[in-house]
Amino acid sequence: MTAPNPPAAAVSRTGSIYDLGYRRYEGPRLGRAYAVRSMIVHSFRTTYGLGRGGRAKIAPLVLGGLAVLPAVLVVGALTLAARLGIQRQLEGASPISYESYFSSIGAIIALFCAAQAPELFGRDQRHGVLTLYFARALRRTDYALARLAGFALALLLLLLFPMAILFIGRGLLSTDIAATFGRDLPKVPAIIGQALLTAGLLGGLAMAVSAFTPRRAYATAGIIALFILPGIVAGIVIQLGSSAIGNWLVLLSQGTVLSGTNALLFGTSLPDELFFFDLPRWTFLAAALATIAVTVGLVLRRFARITT
Amino acid sequence: MAGSDRTGSDPNGPQRRHATLGPVSLISAVGLTKRYPGGVTALDGLTVDIEPGIVGLVGSNGAGKSTFLKILLGLIESTAGKATVFDLDVAHQGIAIRQLVGFMPEHDCLPPDMSATDVVSHLATMSGLPRTAARERTAEVLRHVGLYEERYRAIGGYSTGMKQRVKLAQALVHDPRLLLLDEPTNGLDPAGRDEMLLLIRRTGTEFGMAVIVASHLLGEIERVCDHLVAIEGGKLLRSAPLGSFTERTGTLSVEVEEGQDVLAERLVGRGLRAVVDGSAVLIDLTDERPFDIVRDTVADLGLPLIRIEQRRHRLEDLFRDRPAAESAPGEPLDPPASQVPQ
Repeated sequence: MTAPNPPAAAVSRTGSIYDLGYRRYEGPRLGRAYAVRSMIVHSFRTTYGLGRGGRAKIAPLVLGGLAVLPAVLVVGALTLAARLGIQRQLEGASPISYESYFSSIGAIIALFCAAQAPELFGRDQRHGVLTLYFARALRRTDYALARLAGFALALLLLLLFPMAILFIGRGLLSTDIAATFGRDLPKVPAIIGQALLTAGLLGGLAMAVSAFTPRRAYATAGIIALFILPGIVAGIVIQLGSSAIGNWLVLLSQGTVLSGTNALLFGTSLPDELFFFDLPRWTFLAAALATIAVTVGLVLRRFARITT
Repeated sequence: MAGSDRTGSDPNGPQRRHATLGPVSLISAVGLTKRYPGGVTALDGLTVDIEPGIVGLVGSNGAGKSTFLKILLGLIESTAGKATVFDLDVAHQGIAIRQLVGFMPEHDCLPPDMSATDVVSHLATMSGLPRTAARERTAEVLRHVGLYEERYRAIGGYSTGMKQRVKLAQALVHDPRLLLLDEPTNGLDPAGRDEMLLLIRRTGTEFGMAVIVASHLLGEIERVCDHLVAIEGGKLLRSAPLGSFTERTGTLSVEVEEGQDVLAERLVGRGLRAVVDGSAVLIDLTDERPFDIVRDTVADLGLPLIRIEQRRHRLEDLFRDRPAAESAPGEPLDPPASQVPQ
């Protein structure tokens, strides 16, 4: 196909000026990296139900709204306090701070994962779309990694957007803007670090379950079970007071691991219920990273072997 | 290659194109074998060379057609043997091949909650088309396959025919040099089949795109293809231009509601070559004589006649005449033709 290709329609279909027949595409063809980038963007959009029907947008909108709500409330309260001239007292009393925000919306993030992760891996498997992807200019691992990255980015937005509201709101509404930003700024690396770990850990676990569970309802139930059960077991063992087993169960439960990394990154004390935990705190970080690595590995393995 | 050369629909089309293109091998497979873990052998030492044109890949269900196409795309790995597409090795150059190839899978593969426009343009970007170009091409190919206003609606509400068109559109959107269609008329009603076949024929001839149509329906294949590759039990049965398949003597197909066996027996008794094929009796047609004999015999027996049809081709014979296919699979029906000396 080297010669120029005049549209055959011009010769054979003079009857209709609308039907141009089939035309060649002569434009640029971007490579695999572009395909992967597009896949990441598509995954991000799919997570929020964009480009799909109205029903697909309900869950992400509701859960997203709930995740942002505390930040909006705090900023609203600060505004009110500024009007009343009592913001100095409120700043000290605010129950929702950077250190506690992620744990206060933890359940919402978990629900978001359970509701939306199956939208990415489940739909593609259920409807046979994988065949179409794998028949194009990207590898199976590219597909899996791009889907994971897109979902992680969507979670990061969900985690960091309320933080940004809190950050800007607190700064602009404080009596001394420069001082407040100066006090809050050093916390930004911890905020971003904890958001990355949360997105990676919860997102990775949810995506791993949905990669192996094409049916949506089962995947959602499985993710919720995976998020809740280790915490319950850990709670029981903690009450029994066995610190040796307890230590390891704590590191296997994503909820307590994230509490631990939160404490580690923000430099606060561990939650009271982890009083018995006597391993170094970096083990939380190690446990989080190891779990993320395992989930990514499982997802890659799944899509390397799946038959289409 | 001149534009007019591509519009030719004569059976010699592929060879002529081939002559002007020089030594281009579209697809070449040598000893291609695929055994699935369960012990099923889908391909069993398939060796075939396929040249540009509209090629029909025929075989019964389970003959290995889909497996062959998927190996060519690099979607699954072969157990043994070697295959190339555009002289690219399927085992190591999958991405390069897939950029040049459009694939229409046999089964459902469209997300029901997206519109045709969104799906096709998304898949176009997966093939490396920039966003704007992807949108333009999407509008173009959807028009080409005959989807207009409905392309903005969710696919879940489409008819089977519309879904098949979207599947064809996504295979065309990145303007491939080779189109692999797996059972493109699956699930379509007769009118839908006609339209789909016409569309395939147009796509192949108007633009000279190489097309491989896998189907178990010989009657459809012969309407669109220049060249046939028949496989059975994972082996090559025959590969030859359509013309050479149809040069054989004609067949008279007599379809009756019941009594096929009796009819065939009587006809054989009157000196004809007749075999039962489902609800029909097929009679070798060497001269005018059988017409009268068939009419009289059917009337004598008082059989409920559905139709009498003269078949120009005997593609079915390829399979029907070969009960030996089990005992000696892969042995070419017509050895010289299977070598495809073109």
